[in-house]
Formats: sequence, structure tokens, C-alpha cells
Amino acid sequence: MADMSVSQMSKGEILADGFWHNNTIFAQLLGMCPLLGVTTSAVNGFWMGAATVLVLLGSNIVVSMIRGFVPRDVRIPAYITVIAAFVTVVGLAMNAWMHDMYLILGLFIPLIVVNCAILGRAEAFASKNGLVDSVLDALGVGLGFTFALMLLGSVREIFGYGTWFGYPVLGENYPDFLMFILPPGAFIALGFILAGVNIINRRMGSRAANAEPACTPAAHVVSEKA
Amino acid sequence: MSASEKKTGGINRDMVMMVVALTLVTAISAALLGLTDVVTREPILEAQRAALQRNLEQVLPKHANVPMDDVIRLSDDDAATPFYVARDADGALLALAWEVVAPDGYSGSIRILMGVLPDGALHAVRITDHRETPGLGDGIVQNRKWIDFFIGKSLGNVSWAVKKDGGDFDQFTGATITPRAVVKAVHRGLEFFAAQRDALLARAAGK
Repeated sequence: MADMSVSQMSKGEILADGFWHNNTIFAQLLGMCPLLGVTTSAVNGFWMGAATVLVLLGSNIVVSMIRGFVPRDVRIPAYITVIAAFVTVVGLAMNAWMHDMYLILGLFIPLIVVNCAILGRAEAFASKNGLVDSVLDALGVGLGFTFALMLLGSVREIFGYGTWFGYPVLGENYPDFLMFILPPGAFIALGFILAGVNIINRRMGSRAANAEPACTPAAHVVSEKA
Repeated sequence: MSASEKKTGGINRDMVMMVVALTLVTAISAALLGLTDVVTREPILEAQRAALQRNLEQVLPKHANVPMDDVIRLSDDDAATPFYVARDADGALLALAWEVVAPDGYSGSIRILMGVLPDGALHAVRITDHRETPGLGDGIVQNRKWIDFFIGKSLGNVSWAVKKDGGDFDQFTGATITPRAVVKAVHRGLEFFAAQRDALLARAAGK
């Protein structure tokens, strides 16, 4: 969310920044509600992430297009209206064509509206940048979020049930390790993943310095609302 | 905005722009939602019917009709609970299925579809919707042995409570509330059937 430098970033940097350096989960620790709520399996994490990518794409595109037209004072209600509309569209589409997954994700689909990461991208990026860059930003951030959800879902499913995407990977007789499926397991697994991410970032060197936790003014305002 | 506010007390350009912008954004969003609703309404109904169909096939005995379209209600009110009727090739009643709700699950309501034979014995029971804890309470869905224990049970031939409460139904380790809620709801459903049996069978025969 380094607002000022954004316009000087190359296309590749926008993608990499959203996917890794400022990853919603790993670097900013935003969007924890869907992260901890639905990641009892890898496939749940994947589809929750996919729904979020679609909403992010829609909202970033529209916000970028109307950025010169919406007065500053009413931008937040305008963005939230746009985001809520796309969330409802994605929810209805999932209900229609992926009914079983819709029943599993249930409440967490409408809750995408209050995922502060999405309003954060609208406010911090799409409202200041052109269409192409905003699409790239949505893809980078969205895929990064999906990756994080799938990673946590995979860890919890593998250790909890001994399966990955429903296929047994730890042998047929793996005794279920319930703690990983229950909420405490989500926090513990996330802690280890964050530790791993920090190790990787340290090895990668100075770039990690950019990944300050979400304390830019924009992200701050947003997380208070969510 | 503060500068223009000081200038005049009345309506100014900035405020008009705000109203116009918000109105346009909401109008376009509403149009998008309306369009999506039109496109998805039929597929959503179809998906719900397919899910109901799958569940009905599991709680009813082999039948020759389409129970989903063979519905009776105790009153003429369309909002009354629908009872789905399974019939053989001659049109004779085989079983009834309807949904009961356990309001006292561990997290929210549990919806249960129960298939009952005319003599008041259960043919099968399936959970159609729940929010119980994965790995604990959701044994009511994952544990086939548990849900199959309902098969053939009627008001008289089993004690309708979980073992912890002195009944015949197993609870799960670490989860008593969920099975207790389901057992109670199915029991209430059977009591309801016993009380309304004549009315229901008469309606089913009259169709």
C-alpha cells in the first residue's frame, strides 16, 4: 500500500507487490475472517479465494473507471455500493451454478463485502490508477489472497484429515487430528506459516523491508470500519 | 467542500455532484443486480430442486412417482410445511417425507429431512443443512452409522434420547448437543405424525 510509489511501479512489480510483498494475509494480516473461517480444506480455500478475486476484479475495474467522477467526500459509500453489488452477483452466480460449494461457504460469501482488503485496494490503488494497472493489482492481490487461503487450507486438511483436495496423502489409516480442523488449529497453522514467510523474506533480503504491516493511513481507516 | 459551504447557505455545485454521483453508482449497481437476478433465478431454483431430489431419494423407499411434485399440505395455505408423497405404480401411498428443524443445535438450526412409513416407522433420515462444528457435531452428516440408526425406529421401539440422557442414541465424543438436538427434532416429528396421521393419509389418498 505504498501509495506514492505506485505510479512508478512496472506492471510486473504491481503483480508481485500484491501477490507477495504486500500480500493481504502474509504482510498485512487483513481478511482474517474468511481466512480462519473457511480454510478447513484446500478446496474450500480455493473457491473462497476465487470468489474474492472476482469481486476484487469487478470493484477495482469500476472504481478505476469512476475515479474522476466521484467526489472525494462520498467515495467510500460509492465504493462500498460497488463492492456490495459485485459480492451479491458472485453469491447469486455461485448459488446457481456451484450450489454445493455455495452451501459450504454460505455466510462467508456475503461477508466478502466487509473484507477490508477489498475496500483497501479500491481506496489505496484503483482510485488513483488507470484501468490496466488496477486490473493487475486486483489479480496480484486476489491471487495472493487465494494462495494464502489454499496454503492454510492445505495445511489444515493434510494434518487434520490426512487428505489433500479430498485425496488421502498420509495413508488410509491416518487418525484425524481434530485440532487442525477446529478454530485453534487455524491460528496455530497460520502462526507457523507466517513464521515461514518471514524466514523466506529475510533470506530474500532487503525487499522484505517494503512489507511493513498494514499501517498506512488508508489501510488504517479501512480496518477500523471492518 | 468547506470553502463552498461558507460561500452560500443553499445548494451548491459540490453537493449536487455528490448526489448525482451516488445516485448514478447505486442506480447502475441496482441494474446489475436486477440483471443477475433474472439470469440466475431459474438455475438457483433448479439447483435447489436437484438438491431436494437427491435428499428425497435417500429418505424414501423405492417409488414409481416423483415425490417432489406430489406434495400435500395440512392446510390450504401454501406456506404450510410440504409433505412429499412416495407412491407405488398403482398410486398407493408408500411413505411421506418432510423437513423438521432442530432450533437447538450447537450453532444455529439444523434442518432434517425425515421419511416415514404409513405405520409410523422411520424409513431414513438425512441432514439437509447445518452449521455444526467440523469434526465434532458434523458427525450427524459424516457418521453414516449414526444416521442409519434411525432406520426402522418408531415412537414405541426405542428410547428417544441420547445415551447420556438415558436413551438409546449415541452421542459423539465432545459433542452431545448436536445429536441431542437432532434426536429431539426427529422425535417431535414422529409425535406430530402420530397426531396428524389420519389427516395426512386422507389427504394423500384423496389426491
